[in-house]
Amino acid sequence: MNGLKMDFLSSDALSTHTSMEKISMIVERVKGGNLVVIEGGLSPGEEAELIETTMREIDIENFMGIDIYTLEKDKKALFGISKKKAVGLTIIGPANIMKDVNKQSNFLSMIANLGDSGASMH
Amino acid sequence: MNLAKYIKSDKMQNIFRRFLNKLLGKDKKLKIGLYGHPNSGKTTLANTMTNDWIGKPLGLSSEIPHETRKVYKQEHVSVKHNGVELDFDIIDTPGIATKIDYKNFLQFGLSETEAKERAKEATKGIIEAIKWLDDVTGVILVVDATKDPLTQANITIIGNLEARKIPFVIVANKIDLPEATPERITSVFPQHTVVPISALHGENTENLYEAMIKRFH
Repeated sequence: MNGLKMDFLSSDALSTHTSMEKISMIVERVKGGNLVVIEGGLSPGEEAELIETTMREIDIENFMGIDIYTLEKDKKALFGISKKKAVGLTIIGPANIMKDVNKQSNFLSMIANLGDSGASMH
Repeated sequence: MNLAKYIKSDKMQNIFRRFLNKLLGKDKKLKIGLYGHPNSGKTTLANTMTNDWIGKPLGLSSEIPHETRKVYKQEHVSVKHNGVELDFDIIDTPGIATKIDYKNFLQFGLSETEAKERAKEATKGIIEAIKWLDDVTGVILVVDATKDPLTQANITIIGNLEARKIPFVIVANKIDLPEATPERITSVFPQHTVVPISALHGENTENLYEAMIKRFH
């Protein structure tokens, strides 16, 4: 079957893991061809670690790396006034599958490349 | 004051100065890392800088992405501006990316074996560049002004620099190209110092050197 498996991970589910465990879990799933959607974002240190781990896992023929996209939301602040943005969702997938990504400030549309067919998600 | 007293007082002043320098962090050697995407012009800028200051280039640059796959270092570079001098080492790092497809190199005339070899070396170069973030004391983030600046690699680099409190200057490079829009970089990173330049033609590099003195001194 030619399909795309998407894993949605809540921030609560991730908070019980160490950074290393989080990164391994993400890379393992993405390397297996899955699209991982995380509630919230990774810390800058975790992002660097994710890129580093991805580089180690790249296998020239089968796994060429990852693509990461984020959707931001307004950060809650005291008295409800804030111009700062926080990451609401992080989407990480295999680079060869995530193609034609259209990202705007509060909208992300992606066409997944599934070989002969294609799947669209918004 | 007799000579012995003078020497003693001079010695005390030196000790005091060294203590102050240590306290203010001036004793720490400045290591300025050039970071950015593959092909954003890091090596071209490193060459322009070393040519301007010590009269020789640092590394090879080319049209093919991931030309720099190892970290290059030039020690003891000095820049002067308005009487202020800045001594530092330049660290030219491989471009940071989240993916590497060897097929992209085939269009530049490389054989499949060469392209695969380059891709493997590029993955190691990216790991090395990330590791160097632990060692640099200042960063010039080179962004190609003809492309979208809001990429994961740029966001990750900036996030890490902020988290580690490493001072940095963003360079909006390639302003000599008609499609360049440096103002887009300024608008997406309004809280940071952005300097539009052409590393290739040495255009506006004076402004960059001035910004470096301000941010890194």
